[in-house]
Order: sequence, then C-alpha cells, then structure tokens
Amino acid sequence: MVSAKSAIYYAFHPNQLRSMIQWKVWHEPVHTRDQSKEAPTLTSCFHFLNLTSRSFAAVIQELNSDMLVPIALFYLVLRGLDTIEDDMTIDADTKEPLLRDFYKNMRTEGWTFNGNGPMEKDRELLIHFDVVVAELQKLKKGYYDIIEDITIKMGNGMADYALGAEHKDGIETIAQYEEYCHYVAGLVGEGLTRLFVEGNYANPALMDRMELTESMGQFLQKTNIVRDVHEDFLDKRRFWPKAIWSKYVDKWEDIFEPKNRTLALQCSSEMVLNALKHADECLFYMAGIREQSVFNFVAIPQSMAIATLELVFQNPKIFDSHIKITKGDACQLMIESTQNLRVVCDTFRRYARRIAKKNDPRDPHYLEISSACGKIEQFIETLFPSQDPKKVALVQDAKKDEDKMDPWEGFILIGAAILVLLLVSGLMIGVAWAFGARFDAMFDKTWTQPSVLPDPSTPTTMASVTHGEL
Amino acid sequence: MATTTTKPPSNHTALGRVLIIGGCGFLGHHVVSLLLRDWQAQISVIDLRCERNRRPASDGVSYHEADITDADNLLKLFGKIQPDVVIHTASPPAQGGSAVSDALFQKVNVEGTRAVVAACRGAGVKALVFTSSASIMSDNKNDLVNANETWPVIRGKEQTEYYSETKAAAEELVLAANRAEDGAGLLTVSIRPAGIFGEGDVQNVYHLVNIYKQGRTNVQVGNNENLFDFTYVENIAHAHLLAARALLVTSQSQTTPLDYERVDGEAFIVTNGEPVYFWDYARAIWAAAGSDKGTAHVWTLGREMGMVLGLMSELVFAALQKPPTFNRQRIAYSCMTRYYDITKARRRLGYKPLVSLSDGVRKTVKWTLEAQQEAVGGKL
Repeated sequence: MVSAKSAIYYAFHPNQLRSMIQWKVWHEPVHTRDQSKEAPTLTSCFHFLNLTSRSFAAVIQELNSDMLVPIALFYLVLRGLDTIEDDMTIDADTKEPLLRDFYKNMRTEGWTFNGNGPMEKDRELLIHFDVVVAELQKLKKGYYDIIEDITIKMGNGMADYALGAEHKDGIETIAQYEEYCHYVAGLVGEGLTRLFVEGNYANPALMDRMELTESMGQFLQKTNIVRDVHEDFLDKRRFWPKAIWSKYVDKWEDIFEPKNRTLALQCSSEMVLNALKHADECLFYMAGIREQSVFNFVAIPQSMAIATLELVFQNPKIFDSHIKITKGDACQLMIESTQNLRVVCDTFRRYARRIAKKNDPRDPHYLEISSACGKIEQFIETLFPSQDPKKVALVQDAKKDEDKMDPWEGFILIGAAILVLLLVSGLMIGVAWAFGARFDAMFDKTWTQPSVLPDPSTPTTMASVTHGEL
Repeated sequence: MATTTTKPPSNHTALGRVLIIGGCGFLGHHVVSLLLRDWQAQISVIDLRCERNRRPASDGVSYHEADITDADNLLKLFGKIQPDVVIHTASPPAQGGSAVSDALFQKVNVEGTRAVVAACRGAGVKALVFTSSASIMSDNKNDLVNANETWPVIRGKEQTEYYSETKAAAEELVLAANRAEDGAGLLTVSIRPAGIFGEGDVQNVYHLVNIYKQGRTNVQVGNNENLFDFTYVENIAHAHLLAARALLVTSQSQTTPLDYERVDGEAFIVTNGEPVYFWDYARAIWAAAGSDKGTAHVWTLGREMGMVLGLMSELVFAALQKPPTFNRQRIAYSCMTRYYDITKARRRLGYKPLVSLSDGVRKTVKWTLEAQQEAVGGKL
C-alpha cells in the first residue's frame, strides 16, 4: 500500500505525515449521517454522491442533518446537468432543450436519462436519476424552490454558452471570463447562500451582499482554471481570457513552449493576481456563517484554494503537468478550516505572505501582487485588530505619568516607606518596653561584646560565637 | 469632461478663490496642477520663492513671494487676495535632526501656521485645509497596524521626531480654530498623508533610485513581512481639494453636520489604500529604474544585526564628523509595520485614490531618472 517512494518522501517530510495522522485520528465530524433512518432512495443518492464527487462528498456528509439532504441533492442535480452539457456525443439540437428544461425533470416522478455516450463518466447518475427525483419531492418547499431556481438559471446559462456563437473562439475578455465563472461557480454559491439563510445557518445580511457570495465562487473557479491550464490544453479547452494571455504570447499554444517560460510565468502571475482580488471578500463571507458544520463546508474549499494559488504562483510546472497540494498540506488545511474564522484568517495570512515571498520584482504585476497580499492582511486586521487605540493611548499616558513621577515622587515614596518602618518599629519597641523589656541591660552588654549572646556573663565567648553561627 | 480617464466624479466643481501656501513646493505644486485640471478656481500661490515649479503665465496663477512667519505682511497679502479657500502645505522637508533645523521646524510649522490661522481669520477666509502628517501618530519605535484617526497623537518626550512634534502642534492650532467664537466662521480640516512620493520629490524615491545606481540592492533588513503605506502625491492633492469642497458646502449650509459626516474640525489620514511589504516598494522602484535582478542575490540581515551595523555606522560617521548614510532609525523604519485605515476619508470626503500605487511608482521613477539625467547634463 505504501510505496517505497512515498515512504522516503514522508521520512524527509515528517510534518506532512504528522498532519495526515492528526487529521485521521483527531478529526471528529460535527455531524455524521445516520444511515439507519435513511430511505433506500436516499442511500442510493449518497451512493451516487460518492461516485461522482471526489472532494465534496466527504464535507457534504458532515453537514448538519437539516442541510445534509438539500445540499447533497443540489449537488446531484447540478452534476446531472453538467453530465449532459459535457457530453460531446449529444448534438446541440437535442442538448439545448434538455438543458433548458432540466428543472422539469426534477418534478417528473421516475425520470431517467440514458442518452449519454458510453464514455461519459457520470452517466450512471442519470440512468438512475429517479432516486434523486424521489428525494427532491420530500424536501421542504423553501429548499426545493431554491434548488429549482438555480437549476433553471444554470440550465439556461449552459444552453446559451453551448450554443452561443460568440464563445466559439473561447473566452476573450475578462468580463466573459468572469461571466463563465459565474455560471459554473457563482450560481452554485448563490444557491448555497440561499439555502444557508433559509435554514438560518448564515446571517441574512449575506443576501444583501451577493457580491460576497459571487467572490466565493469566483475565487475557487479561477484558482482551478489557473491550476488546470495544462490539463485543459490537452482536452483542447481554454479558459484563460485572451485579454490577458495575448499580452504575453501571440498564439495560445505558445504559452506552453519551454522557450516562453518567463512570459508564461508572467502571464500566470496576472491570472493569480486576478484570482487573489477575491480573497478578502471570501473571508468576509465566512464571517457571516453561524453554524460549525456549514462553516467547515464553506471554509475547506477556500483554504485549499489559497494554498493552491500559492502552489501555482511562479511555478513553471503548471505548463507541463498537473500539480496538486500534497496530502499532508491538505490534511493540515482541513484541520485549520474546521475550527473558526480566526484560524482560517491565520491560514490566509500565512499563504498571502508566502505568495509575497515568491513574488519577483521583474514581474510586470509585482507591486500589484504585493498590494493584493497586503489587502488580505489589512482585511484580517479589520476583523481581528491586533492593536487597540484605547490601549495605545493608555500606554502613552502611563509613560507620561512615569515621566512626571520622576524624580520627586520616587523620593516621597521612599521617604514614606522609611517613615512607616520607623513608626512600626517604634511602636513595637514601645509596646515591648511597656511590658517590661530591659533594653538598658541589653544595650549595656552589646556595646562591650561583638554579639548578643544567650548568657552574656559566660566567659567562653569565642566558642559560643562559632557555634552560634552554625 | 473629456480630457483624462482618471478624473474624479467631482470634476470642475467651483471652489472660488483658492490660495495655496507653499504652492511651489513638492505637494503644493501638485495641488495647483490638479486644481487646474479638475476644478474651477481662481488660483493664487504664496511661497518663499516662486521660481521653481511655477506654472506658465497662460494658466493664470498669481504668484506672491512671502515668508509666512511674517504675520503682518501675510495678513496684508491675504487682504489683497481675499481667498475663500486656503490650502496650507508649506513645511520644511521632514529630514533634519540638527538643532538648526529643529528651530526651523518650530518657526515654520508652528509659528508660520499660527500666522496663517490669524490671517485666515483676519481676511474672512471660509475654509482652511492644513497638510499635517500621519507621522504624528508614530513614536518611531512601535508598529502602527491599520491605525485610524482614533489612535493617539504622540507628543512630547514620546515623539522622537521633532518634525512630527511641530506638525502635531500646528494641527492642534488649526483644528482649534474651527468654528472658534472669534473666528468669523472659519472652518478648518487637517489632512495627514503617509509616505508621500511623486514627481518633484527629492527624498523618498530619489534616495531609493540612488541606492540602485550604487548597486546596493542586495541587502534586506528584517523579514519583509511588515506592511507600509506609501502615497502618490496626486492622490494627496486630490484629498485636499475634496476636503476644501466639503468645507465650502458646510459653510454654505444652515445646519451643522452630524458627527459621523462632519469634515470641519476633523483630521483625515490619506494614503493610497494599498499597503505593501516595505522592501517590495523599494524593489518595485529599482525594477522601474531598470534593475534586472530578482531576489536571489538578496542577503537578509536580521533586525538586531541591522541595528548593530546602524550603530557602528553612526559611530564611524560621528568620528568623521559627517551625517551617517545609514543609521539605526532607518533600520528601525525598514522593519516597522506602519499602515493606516482610510475609511474615514473614503466615507466623509468621498476620497478614492486617482492613481494606483504601481502607476504612481512608474511615473515617479520616470521623472526621477529624467531629472537626474538633466542634472548630469547640466554639469557637463
């Protein structure tokens, strides 16, 4: 199971192994699915969730019992849509109504679809889609309506995109790039925020600041687009907008040429900068989440995204391979993303600083990247200030008082201490004298002898002294 | 409405008769230029000498040579100009340290400002905008992290920079004159810029470009995780004019503004709103000046080590009886976090930087290189 290569790797990277063990041993899900109470159709739904999603299945299944089913079904519905959109064996005329009317299938008891090509990896889900439909019908109306609304919007968006002539040459402008990210990620975010607010797991104020939700989706999607540039190139797809890459190369395929590495890296820096701009709003969004399992659900992908951005930044490997954050780092990030906002902020700051450290002064966007990292740090300061003006003022005042005290107050203080000392000793001696202490006898003897002895009249003084000191 | 793309929404608002004190200085002449570009005003300038940074006669700016510490003369001049708005930018450059410049700071910054306030009252000026400094909030030792106007002003013994002490005293005088009972309706405001740079600056960027020319870009003190605010001069000029407009609007309105929207009697921190890591700013300047180096050649010194070297440099130069090129205060600055929160200026002045930090750096370095070239050409 453990290859020699990975054994050697972990021997030299013990922290990676430590994080993995920590996560496996200590991670306690806030909630776990109760499979004994599930209907068979719901169990099937989770079966398909595990089949179709690699990263999301686990976090979804740790959601609280109220959010668990709606979000799992929401995911499956979108996955179903995506499976139709992705399938190049379905011709456009068939595809368009399928996408636009997909929401109707959600209400059609027993609806299934077996028109996918044999190679489509999630075709099983659509063949058995009736289980999803059955479970959708059991949802609270509030939740169902949100899922339906997003399905309509996304189906239309995909249909427009699939048929739109303007996209034949790929994404041109930054506006088109962001529009694309909106359809594939921003809309999902919108649905999730509405579900969280409907269930009272998030601050309703998030509904008035939908740009925060949009940033959550944009940040994740843009990060993936930067990371997957080579994989997409092999699949003959391109998501980097021409408005950005055309500043560095004339033809898109040139960006992968080893001789153009410096230009390609500068281009990727601009893409990273474009993604990084959303990071502070993502933190702001997470401040609006009210429940732990929902917080974990939204925070894990975000932490992974900032770590991925750091990994791809100034990294020439993205142009010839598919890179990923290590398992150890992923476990560490999951540990940090399942605590609270403060810990997630620390993670963001750590990666922002690492990005800044990798920043190259020769890069055309050098200072802008530095300021994007600074913006993240500054935003974290507004959430969790490290300085308190009142305390700063108090420290200043205290210093002023110290200055005033010196030196007279010091003298007065010492004088007062001496006075009290004299007063107390005077009292004690006075009381002792009043009770009949013979000071006169003591003084008479002490003046003539080096120390006060138990019996001053004894002649063997020297011996007593030596013993007395023992 | 069709000259540049970076125009504020407020462009070509009338400000009446505007007098810029120190209008031939670094910040002052940018205020004049911006007034000409974006606003409507009859512009007058008072400066000690008016040859440098002077606008061509076709711009219609009237120049007056005067010493602001001569209160009687200043009042007479104000009577002639009859300004509605006074923008007081005059101050000796911040770098000093000897007893002579301390006396000059006291004379110009405090006594000069006192005379300006008195002249404003005497001449029935409506609005006085004073250029203060964000450095009055720093004790030059401790960090300032996202500080806003609620942070205390550091005075007296705790304020180790005498320049900042006099700026703080002057700000106090200016703000105390706002709505003063005998003030004839004068409204005042104070702008506190942080880390000013731009064309015409012969300190900040000039110094950094020289470090590059001398090939000394290979040392970094501290871990460069300290954020610092630097502000392009045009943005600061813009904030001054927005503040002037706000005061004029207030002086025309019948009611006093609510606390959370008032501008008169208030201080505003103004930056580019883009704090960056300290050495990144220096490296951006070096790159713009032509450096083809990344960071591989950089040798990082710890702060403590830097302080020891700074002390040694101070001692050596003291023995040579020359000002040190490199001292402990410089080392401390390069390791200090010092950036501000400008929400108050954004909300109450409607301030938004006109020029981004990176554009500002590019423009300034270009100007600096040309200026140095000219200086060399002049010598030949």
